[in-house]
Amino acid sequence: MSVRHGLLALLSRGPRYGYQLRAEFEASTATTWPLNIGQVYTTLSRLERDGLVSRDDQGGQDEQGRVRYAITAEGRDELDRWFAKPVSRADRPRNELVIKLAMAVTTPGVDVAAVIRAQRSATMRSLQELTRALRTLDASTEAAQRLVVDSMIFHAEAEQRWLDHCEAVLARPSEENP
Amino acid sequence: MTETRPPDRLPAPDGEPVVRMTGVVRVHGEGTGAVHALRRVSLDVAAGELVAVMGPSGSGKSTLLNLAGGLDRPTEGSVVLEGRELRDLSPKQLAELRRRSAGYVFQDLNLIPSLTVAENVALPRELDGVRTARARAEATAVLEEVGLADLGDRFPDDLSGGQRQRAAIARALVGRRRLLLADEPTGALDTRGGDEIIQVLRQRADAGAAVLLVTHEPRYAAWADRVVFLKDGRVVDSSAAGMETAR
Repeated sequence: MSVRHGLLALLSRGPRYGYQLRAEFEASTATTWPLNIGQVYTTLSRLERDGLVSRDDQGGQDEQGRVRYAITAEGRDELDRWFAKPVSRADRPRNELVIKLAMAVTTPGVDVAAVIRAQRSATMRSLQELTRALRTLDASTEAAQRLVVDSMIFHAEAEQRWLDHCEAVLARPSEENP
Repeated sequence: MTETRPPDRLPAPDGEPVVRMTGVVRVHGEGTGAVHALRRVSLDVAAGELVAVMGPSGSGKSTLLNLAGGLDRPTEGSVVLEGRELRDLSPKQLAELRRRSAGYVFQDLNLIPSLTVAENVALPRELDGVRTARARAEATAVLEEVGLADLGDRFPDDLSGGQRQRAAIARALVGRRRLLLADEPTGALDTRGGDEIIQVLRQRADAGAAVLLVTHEPRYAAWADRVVFLKDGRVVDSSAAGMETAR
C-alpha cells in the first residue's frame, strides 16, 4: 500500500504539515489504514531525499517548530505516473489465508474443513459489520469513504466465495474416499 | 430510493419467536432411496430479526424454508409457528395458519400478470375472506411501506424487476403476516435491483417482521442479524452480527 503516493496526492492540493497529512489520509480512507505520525515523517523525509517534496519556505515553521511540505514538479510527474499505471497484482502483499489453507491441505493431521468453517464465520462476521457500517453512512458522507468501505465489502465477499469454492473442491469424492 | 417513514412496529408476543424449529428432520422417500434433506436442525426466528440461510445447493435451504412456513411437514421434530405446533394441526388448520402467518417471495413468477399490482397484493386478503374495499386499503398501506405507493394501478409487466419483487414482498406481508420467507429473492435481479430488495427486507425486519432469507450471495446475507450455514442438511455454522448471540 503506497503511503508515499497517498501523501503526494494530498500535497498536490497544496502545502501541508505532517499532522494534517495524517488526518487527511485517514479521513479519505475511512480510517481503514491508520497511519502513525512517525510513518508520515519517515515517508516525507524519503520523498524529500528523492526530490519529490520540499520544505515549504513561505509557510516556514509553525510555533511548535513543525515544517510544512510542498510537492515539487518531479513529485507531480511521479504522481501522474502513479495514477496512470495500473496496480500489478504481484505488487500486493501475500495473502496469509491462502498460504494457511494451502498448508492446511498438505499438512497431515489438520482438519481443513474446520479451518474453512472457522474462517467463513469470521469473514461473514466482518462482512456483516462492514455492511452495518455502510448502512450508517448518511448521504453526506464523502464518496471516497463510501468507496473504501465498498471495496472492503467486495474483498470480504470474494473471500467468502473462495472459501465456499475450497469447501466444494475438497468435498468432491476422491478415489480412496468415494 | 424508498421513503423512510418509520413504520408501525407490529406487536411482539412476549419475546416468543415467530417460528421455532427444534430437532427438525426431513426425509424424502424411504428405504435405500431415502434422502435426508434436513438432519436435526433447530432454528428460531424472532420478530424484528432477519436471518439468512446459506449453503451449497442440495444442503437443505429450501426444505428449511418450506418447513418454517408450513408448506411441508417434518419427518421428526417440532415446528411451532406463531405459538401453534404444526404437527397438531389438521391439513385445513395448517393451510389457514399458513395463509394468515407466513408470506413467500420467490426468485421469480411472484405476481399474476393480468392483475394490477394492488390487486395482486390484495389477493391473499380477499382469499382470507376480507371484503374487497378493506383488502384494497390494506394493499395500499403495505405498498406504501415498500415504496410503491404510486404504482398500485400498474401491471406487473410495467415494473422493473426490483419493483416487482418489492410488490411480491408487499403481497407476502399484507394483512399483518409476520413471517416473511424469501427464497433467493434477489436471484433474477441486477445489483441495483438486488440492493433495493435487501434494503426492503431489512426495513421490514426492523419494523417487526421475522424474515428468513435463503441466499447464495454473501453480500446480501451480510445484511442479516444472523447467518446460518447449512451443509448436508445440518447447521454447520452460524454467525451473529454485533452483540447478539446465535442460539
